[in-house]
Amino acid sequence: MSREAAQLPGSTAPPIEFDFDGTTYRAREGQTIAAALIEQGINSWRRTRVDDQPRGILCGIGVCFDCLITLNGAPNVRACVTRVESGDDLRCQEGTGYGD
Amino acid sequence: MATDVLIVGGGAAGIAAAVVAARSGCSVTVLDNGTAVGGQYYRGAQPPDGGAGLSYDALRRAFDDLVADDRIDLRLGVSAYAVERRDGGFGVRTRGDDRHRSSVDVIDAGAVVIATGAFDRQLPFPGWTIPGVMSGGGAQALVKGSGVLPGQRIVVAGTGPFLLAVAHALISAGGNVVAVVEANDPLGLARHARSVLPAAGKSADLAKFVASLAKRRVPYLRRHRVRRADGAGRLKSVTVSRVDADWRGISGTERVLDCDALAIGYGFTAQTDLAGQLGTRMRLGSDGGLAIEVDERQRTSIAGLLAAGETTGIGGVDLARMEGLIAGVAAVEDCGRRPALSEVAIARGMRDVQNLRGFADALHATFPVRDGWREDVDDATLVCRCEEVSAGTVLDAVSCLGARDARSVKLLTRAGMGWCQGRVCAPAVDALCGFDSAASLIGGSYRPVAVPVPLSAIAADRMSP
Repeated sequence: MSREAAQLPGSTAPPIEFDFDGTTYRAREGQTIAAALIEQGINSWRRTRVDDQPRGILCGIGVCFDCLITLNGAPNVRACVTRVESGDDLRCQEGTGYGD
Repeated sequence: MATDVLIVGGGAAGIAAAVVAARSGCSVTVLDNGTAVGGQYYRGAQPPDGGAGLSYDALRRAFDDLVADDRIDLRLGVSAYAVERRDGGFGVRTRGDDRHRSSVDVIDAGAVVIATGAFDRQLPFPGWTIPGVMSGGGAQALVKGSGVLPGQRIVVAGTGPFLLAVAHALISAGGNVVAVVEANDPLGLARHARSVLPAAGKSADLAKFVASLAKRRVPYLRRHRVRRADGAGRLKSVTVSRVDADWRGISGTERVLDCDALAIGYGFTAQTDLAGQLGTRMRLGSDGGLAIEVDERQRTSIAGLLAAGETTGIGGVDLARMEGLIAGVAAVEDCGRRPALSEVAIARGMRDVQNLRGFADALHATFPVRDGWREDVDDATLVCRCEEVSAGTVLDAVSCLGARDARSVKLLTRAGMGWCQGRVCAPAVDALCGFDSAASLIGGSYRPVAVPVPLSAIAADRMSP
């Protein structure tokens, strides 16, 4: 399954593809991981280590670390300030993130 | 590598400082942790033609030209995590973005300009951890930086004129803003005519934002506050009500607004970490937040260390730009050169800073944070989101365990010990516990590492003797 993403205004670059928890989605060049996921209706991509609660973005500008995601096997990547790249394998981050 | 002037942050303040310093013949390096300069407000938007003199657009075009001519060394995706004094100047330790966080470096600089901006201040309330609840600045970043709306039905809430800027940005991108919920009464600004008139351009901006709401018939709910958010795993609604002058809810006025996104913020917190590492003198801003103390040339208490923009007290992009200009002048002087800005222009810039600071103070007086928000925080409400510490646990540390300052609360409960290092929860912990905010804020703001760095990268880094 691959869901469409509209072009960024003024952008002529072809959409890029990334995976989140095994599903392939499309994003626009230059979008952050958080923005690409939210555009697809996904607004949480982490489960907290104590209460197992879902989290997405809070500050949205790289300060609060609520939006940590596992990117290509590396946990603790801030989805709000990291641009999505073609072929990225994103996974919901669960637990402590100590695997880094 | 070495540079005359190192500017940390490529927003309005950093761009202005860089242009002045580079035109004056200094070697200039600019760090920004983002993917483009422009800061949180302008983001990476390309400046249109027009806009002369010291306008943002003109400065941004000059900046781009200086970068193209190799007279400004612009490093994007780079964060400064520590600064130390070294050989009459500074050593600034940096790391790459989250894809390259082990890529560390040290830059020697004669003068350093701290222009690291600010982030939204949050106050906890039931449901504020539900995905879909985000800061106003986060919503702005989504729409301006990535062309994505935070949801299908968006409520903008909190206090301050920034809510209007966020709503305007969302509406301009085609967003459905259900309501703007303002806890204070903006009409109070009229009482500060003496401060408002010299900054008439700023008032015109606000009028434009209010007109944008009126045109789309978006309700601007004054003296209203978000009392709680609801939804299982994703936001479904928020409950708002009228509040009194102290922000206590007025019963019988509650109403539920269906929404899938809430963009909320109660003012801002300045990013003062780097200055704090050097023991720079701080002050309490008129918004109650911590600010770097500077003189009229933007000089801090540490020789060669300048600060500009939100880090010296929250005041918006125009004040940031003018402070950046003056900081650039001071950095040039501190490098023993003559600034390429006339005495007349410098004097005018310093007067603009004064006028815009006066306007900012009037805004802070009109949009303060009142105590009534605490009534909605029940024992189960999380205060520290990183370590998942509830208000009940925090208050127990005070009433049962005898904590008398934020540091003790942190050691007893872990509140403020997580990833964000208390940046989000510190104002709430102080307010809920009734701690003296100046001492507690200064103590809690000391962060020897401003951005997480892998231990392996620090170990591999060549440490100075």
